[in-house]
Amino acid sequence: MPLVLLAALPVRLTAQQAVTARLDGRVPPAVAAAVRGLTDSAVARGLPAGPLVDKAIEGAAKGVAPERVLVAVRLVLTQLDVADGAIRGGGIGAPDAETIEAGAFAVAAGLSGSEIRDLVKVSVPPYTPAATLRVAGTLAAMGVPPSATLKLIRETVRSGGATADLQRLPGSVQAQMARGQTPAQAAAGLARATAARGSPPGGPKTGKGSGNPHRP
Amino acid sequence: MTRYHPLVKRLLDGESRLAELPPELQAEGAEALRLLAVADRTPVSLPAALDARVMTAVRAGGRSPSARLWRWIFEPRELRFRVRPWVVGPALAAAAALVVLLNRSPAPRRGGSTAVVAPESALVRFVFYAPAATRVAIAGTFNQWDQSAAPLVRAGKEGVWTVTLVLPRGQYQYAFVVDGRRWVPDPAAPAVDDGFGRRNSLIAVGGGGRAL
Repeated sequence: MPLVLLAALPVRLTAQQAVTARLDGRVPPAVAAAVRGLTDSAVARGLPAGPLVDKAIEGAAKGVAPERVLVAVRLVLTQLDVADGAIRGGGIGAPDAETIEAGAFAVAAGLSGSEIRDLVKVSVPPYTPAATLRVAGTLAAMGVPPSATLKLIRETVRSGGATADLQRLPGSVQAQMARGQTPAQAAAGLARATAARGSPPGGPKTGKGSGNPHRP
Repeated sequence: MTRYHPLVKRLLDGESRLAELPPELQAEGAEALRLLAVADRTPVSLPAALDARVMTAVRAGGRSPSARLWRWIFEPRELRFRVRPWVVGPALAAAAALVVLLNRSPAPRRGGSTAVVAPESALVRFVFYAPAATRVAIAGTFNQWDQSAAPLVRAGKEGVWTVTLVLPRGQYQYAFVVDGRRWVPDPAAPAVDDGFGRRNSLIAVGGGGRAL
């Protein structure tokens, strides 16, 4: 065990150096020191540090007071934590940084931990959980209710289309909204249309009782 | 090789007779005529069918019209140009203008962003309407929220500002910065709470370099 810790030490030092390099000159020194402490805590829990640094830099660039910057950075850490737990609950034992960040984005956009978990379960190949969560977060940010978001994504995955079909959902919803529909109406209409097309033979199958195929 | 006197050469060419040569050249002329007589001067006769055989062979070796066309298109040839120096400048300018026209992005909408498809990144055009602004920039996760990194330029006199950025595949948050102090979300894009009481706009560049 001590050998494992020693082996991990250079990686951790490198990560700290990267965080320091990104913060230096962009945020006040006091904020940088506090953010470094938070990133250390995140990395120790297997969470990505990048979103914390991004938020600190964003706050400083916008001229936000240091204490408020730290509040926002802590909020991002909480969102990463929630996402990580939900993704693991969805069947991915050791989620990568991309998936956790996508989950945190979905949380920030208004989706709950249980909805994140359901989205991960729905994400069978070729749909990656990260892509599904990004699209779901974007739909939520557009005002689509979480239940409608889940239904639309589930129907899209079930239809067995290309991953590009999933990525096009926000644009499709936006197009319907431009015609006067509410986000909920747009998403519901697209879900109905997708369900009507049906699932092709050999297409992705979703359902309970099987582990997540994205599990590492 | 024997070198004959010019008068002897005329004799050999049939332009004079031996008796017409000066006495001192008579012997040389006679010897030359003797040597000439020794050579086989039997007339050569060619077979009557030779012409036909040769022409048949020539026609068989010739290329078909399609082969000649193929050769004309693909066989390297040397081309020579004669260029007047004063023509070079305008010609280069015309070529550059053509390249710019061919690569021109689609016309902007009134706000929002458009993208040109590329393999793993996209040229994304951001458009913002701010008639009263003196300067507008775009800052986001793609440029470390640096408001000096991507200034927009005024397009015409109607208050439309625009900038085109190359964005790798990914999802980004951004906002427009008006006059260096006001952070404004893109009215044509979905947005999320930025944690500081404002909103950040969202843009995703997906597979195939498509802006979503």
